[in-house]
Amino acid sequence: METLNALFSGFAVALSLQNLFLGFVGVTLGTAVGVLPGVGPALTVALLLPATAGFDPTGALIMFAGIYYGAMFGGSTTSILLNTPGESATIVTAMEGNMMAKRGRAGAALATSAIGSFVAGTIGTVLLTFVSPFAVDVALKFGPAEYFSVMVLAFVTVSAVLGASPARGLAALFLGLTIGLIGLDSQTGQARFTLGVPELLDGLDIVVVAVGLFAVGETLYVATYLNRGADIIEQMKGSIWMSKEDWKRSWKPWLRGTALGFPFGCIPAGGAEIPTFLSYATEKKLSKHADEFGKGAIEGVAGPEAANNASASGTLMPLLTLGLPTTATAAIILAAFQQYGLQPGPLLFDTQPELIWGLIASMYIGNVILLALNLPLVGVWVKLLAIPRPLLYAGILIFATMGAYGIRNSWFDLALLYGIGLLGFVMRRYDIPVAPVLVGLILGPLSEQQFRRALAISQGDLSIFVTQPISATVLAITVLVVIVPQAWRLVRRMQANAIGHHSPI
Amino acid sequence: MSTRARIDAGELLISLVLLALGSFVAFETQGIAETQGYAQVGPRLFPYLIGTGLMLCGAWLAWQALSGGWRAMPDEAETHAAPDRMGFLLISAGVVLHMVLIGWAGFILASTLLFVLVARGFGSKKPVRDLGIAVVLSTIVYFLFTRGLGLSLPAGPFGG
Repeated sequence: METLNALFSGFAVALSLQNLFLGFVGVTLGTAVGVLPGVGPALTVALLLPATAGFDPTGALIMFAGIYYGAMFGGSTTSILLNTPGESATIVTAMEGNMMAKRGRAGAALATSAIGSFVAGTIGTVLLTFVSPFAVDVALKFGPAEYFSVMVLAFVTVSAVLGASPARGLAALFLGLTIGLIGLDSQTGQARFTLGVPELLDGLDIVVVAVGLFAVGETLYVATYLNRGADIIEQMKGSIWMSKEDWKRSWKPWLRGTALGFPFGCIPAGGAEIPTFLSYATEKKLSKHADEFGKGAIEGVAGPEAANNASASGTLMPLLTLGLPTTATAAIILAAFQQYGLQPGPLLFDTQPELIWGLIASMYIGNVILLALNLPLVGVWVKLLAIPRPLLYAGILIFATMGAYGIRNSWFDLALLYGIGLLGFVMRRYDIPVAPVLVGLILGPLSEQQFRRALAISQGDLSIFVTQPISATVLAITVLVVIVPQAWRLVRRMQANAIGHHSPI
Repeated sequence: MSTRARIDAGELLISLVLLALGSFVAFETQGIAETQGYAQVGPRLFPYLIGTGLMLCGAWLAWQALSGGWRAMPDEAETHAAPDRMGFLLISAGVVLHMVLIGWAGFILASTLLFVLVARGFGSKKPVRDLGIAVVLSTIVYFLFTRGLGLSLPAGPFGG
């Protein structure tokens, strides 16, 4: 009941003319930028962060939430029509949706993706609404030791457990942590690793880092290695209205995808990559049309797209209740809060209820706007896909440099932007993941703060991290997520050896 | 896992750079004044840990590079076979010149040059079209963000 009251007052905030307008602008901008090939959700939110700077915190965050949802949706459209996934979570959509488009069913693929996103986004937001208060109750029991342990868990899963190589993932994490060290120490005010450069006293802005890695690094990489021939854009064929058969084959995958996506979004498991693949595998197993998978099965678009969007809502749960970002995009959203001096966490539900509940209410509205806006306007988004590559990347770099320069009007930030761009280029070239850098950069200073607070409470006794039950549990889980996959691999290898040299899978 | 006969120079170099960066972080940490307070840990502990972590990752990756190459690398030999160095240089020139120019030539001029150079770097053969689009886009963005969204961007000689 209390939650419903809070939600209703949230709607009062979100439905004000200004906030409704900002949500609308955010969704539109997010879709328009997110649909551009090569621009994933993380880059979209980083590029558009400066655009929100002129508004009050509530309005800005409502606009930002719209940008986030719009970017997710725009990315799916690109995947289906162009087969260039903007991020790992849309690989499956790119595969199956693009095959549908090739068979002249682009309309149905876009529709099931849009409606699936709406269903998953709305259910995800309902879950966020009603589970958050419980998560806040738990989070209120968290002291510095617990926060530190949860951050360690996030570090480990983002870098060492997910991704192709633990060595490269951890290297990226430590690189991010190193960048995070630059600036004034939050406890003693001492300058660290500023090398005597006054511009470095405030540390590196996450927007500069994200835009440098994603926009400048990616642009350099594409120009150097991938700029051959034009992309093939699938024509928008087929009605954008789904047939009765399409509905029948879509609604269950939507719900199953949502059920997979939301919980995976909530835990620090690197966002939507795992649930989208799981959803695809599930749908393939359950479908009566299993033979169509790989050739454009509608279930293979409906399920993973729902999982992707539900996981996006799920990601907001640890972000809002604990201040814990678990994906690159979430790290930038956290930076958006910090730009107003707000630290997401259980206390924010108490001190800024209009902001938090206004934001949550705006997500319901944003989902409706997305659905109403996108299906009719799909022709406009398709036109954006046809922008020639030279103009597209030239335009992206104008926005990238403007975002970096606009922070404090200093050429120094542009030098940093280029330097980090070179880093991004090398990382992309050698398959070093980027998300751990951003998570390390933003969580590094926070984790150090919590660590030192915890030790201040225990008067320097390190055992505080294992004697507090919640903290000990979280650390035990951390150890498990490292050991279990390795052990499993070992067992599989031994089994394979025992049976003879049959290749696994 | 396929083992390669040759050692990839880039992989080894990156590993060594990480190792060097880690040593640098650990070394620089000695210059931070230690003030402990109740926590018994001051501003030095985390830099030490992070520097050590970097060194370990560098050593791990160096070992991988020397023993058959980094693990689980995607097969992109074809993609990386013929890099377009000119494209790389033109885009770099665009970003660096933008940094040099923006202060006194203003946002619109600096961005126009950036746009034209990046488009050229991607192999555009239509400089006049690019220039036209660049001027229009930079001008629109400039007025949208300075007038509409309250961002401050340098106007340059034509502004006022």
